[in-house]
Amino acid sequence: MERFLKMNNIFQNIAIGLRAIKSNPTRVFLTSLGLTIGIFTVSIITAGVSSIDKEFEKSMAYYGNDKLYVSTWPWSFNFDWWKYRNRPRIEEDNLQYITQYSQYIDDVSLRKTSWIRGSYGNTASWLQINGVYPSYQDMLSGTKIENGRFFSQNEWDLQRRVIIVGATVRDGFFDGQDPIGKTIRLGGVSFEVIGELKKQGMGMVPGGTLDNLVIMPSTTFKRILTRWGFDELVLKTRPEQMAIAKEEAEMIMRVARKLKPDEENNFAVNSADAYKQQFDSLKIAIAGVGFLVTGISLIVSAIGIMNVMFVSVKERTKEIGLRKAMGATSRNILVQFLSEAVTISIIGGLAGIILVKLLTLALASFLPVSFDLLLIFYTFLVCVFIGITAGMIPARNAASLNPIDALRHE
Amino acid sequence: MNKKEIISIESISKIYHLGDNVVKALDNVSLKIYENDFISIMGPSGSGKSTLMNIIGCLDVPSKGTYKLDNIEIDKMTDSDLAKIRNQKIGFVFQTFNLLPKLNAVQNVEVPLIYSSLSKSERIAKAKNALNSVGLGDRFDHKPNELSGGQRQRVAIARALVNSPSIILADEPTGNLDSKSGLEILKFFDELHKAGNTIIVVTHEDSVANRAKRKVEIFDGKISKDE
Repeated sequence: MERFLKMNNIFQNIAIGLRAIKSNPTRVFLTSLGLTIGIFTVSIITAGVSSIDKEFEKSMAYYGNDKLYVSTWPWSFNFDWWKYRNRPRIEEDNLQYITQYSQYIDDVSLRKTSWIRGSYGNTASWLQINGVYPSYQDMLSGTKIENGRFFSQNEWDLQRRVIIVGATVRDGFFDGQDPIGKTIRLGGVSFEVIGELKKQGMGMVPGGTLDNLVIMPSTTFKRILTRWGFDELVLKTRPEQMAIAKEEAEMIMRVARKLKPDEENNFAVNSADAYKQQFDSLKIAIAGVGFLVTGISLIVSAIGIMNVMFVSVKERTKEIGLRKAMGATSRNILVQFLSEAVTISIIGGLAGIILVKLLTLALASFLPVSFDLLLIFYTFLVCVFIGITAGMIPARNAASLNPIDALRHE
Repeated sequence: MNKKEIISIESISKIYHLGDNVVKALDNVSLKIYENDFISIMGPSGSGKSTLMNIIGCLDVPSKGTYKLDNIEIDKMTDSDLAKIRNQKIGFVFQTFNLLPKLNAVQNVEVPLIYSSLSKSERIAKAKNALNSVGLGDRFDHKPNELSGGQRQRVAIARALVNSPSIILADEPTGNLDSKSGLEILKFFDELHKAGNTIIVVTHEDSVANRAKRKVEIFDGKISKDE
């Protein structure tokens, strides 16, 4: 009972603090604004980073955790064009060396890439074209044949004009209808759709979407499409031997290219995890800058709250004296002012969360931001902490006022 | 007639050190106040009457001597113990009323009750009772600025009475009122006295002091007259 009464007492003092806030809404609004902005930015950064992360995972699925890509250039965000511009193209011949000498590579395919304008009826669009081996069917990652079939060895040998299309191509050209058996024109040549890929969605890959894709036999590609493009060798291994397979592929490529020991590689063996390392450092940079900015804004808003609390204590010196004369203990006064500071802080934080919520609702279609209860909970904790930190000194000043002097204060 | 001793002050002194100067605000003062006394304390400014009042009101403690209120030794208490004594034993009435401007009459009267662990419904009932007893039963929801000076002081008196204190300590209660309202308040003190309350009025007005049944005058930190 004693304990209950004590709690009751604390709630009373909190109620008094809240009333003080109600009587000065403008000041509270302006003071809490800093915190609103702080909480808003930190939420956006957190949500942004986690969304980028999710998108990135999706893209990684596209590259696969068991594949190596022998390319002319390394996959990199800071691409040094001048260093790499004179590198030779990847030759299909190199694949023979790899299949012949490798222990760790289970399967290989050439992958030629180019872009071309495709049309069906009155609809036309730019498409990404991959020319590959039949073995590529088992090397698709992040997607699979959903409808129809992949091309056969026979079709590859005979350079048949058959294609497998991504989900975007199906939606854009056929408006949801079954595309199998339909004919698409690519650069003036007709191709028959024999298969359809499962939708992958947006990804952080060059080109944005992973579904705007057409796959055909590399033989057909070479015969018909003379456009600019680039070639890669896709090597399939097992996830647990990626590192050694990568080393091996590098060695074999050096032999195939007849590089001397002191010459640098004139090719790159890429994989998803190398991409991921680069991405992680980028992510850390974004988060670091974001949190630094947010941290500063939170400190500034804490100082703002402290300032307002000093004013509030000064203004209500007489009230403090009176309350003490009426029996308020120093502790009562401390709790009263602390709860005022914490409330200002929580109001700011909640406003920030509401802003974030509104923004995510508005952007939901093209910025999938995760917004959850945990965020509200953490914001609440941060606000309570900031409120107590900022309010402590002013509240202690108030609590330690001598009632006689305080009562005399005008 | 043997009355109960409410306040027992035994040779207390209050000494302030202002730089090198030693100021004796109270010099070896002794005073006994009994239940249902109506006593006035008079004295010019600087005489030490405010210091005496602060000590009686448990807002301050003496440098020397003992002070017992309701047989509780006050002079060695901690701040929070003093707060509790102020809450339970003393009802303050101030010259400037000291009502909280944003609160209505009931909420103002509730203030001492907030610090004495009562439930909200109990507090409101008690506060309304106290306001009824000062004749403000129809002014519950009025804020101080919607009340006349006399009414404000009556709200303050209701607030002083609400915890049924041992003494009512009034500091120039009519100082900020016109003579008519002042008279009204003084009549009210008479009634409180008749009802059995112990009242201490600090004043410099003879008309106020004359109402009291006992007059104490203080000069240069000493009691110069007690009759």
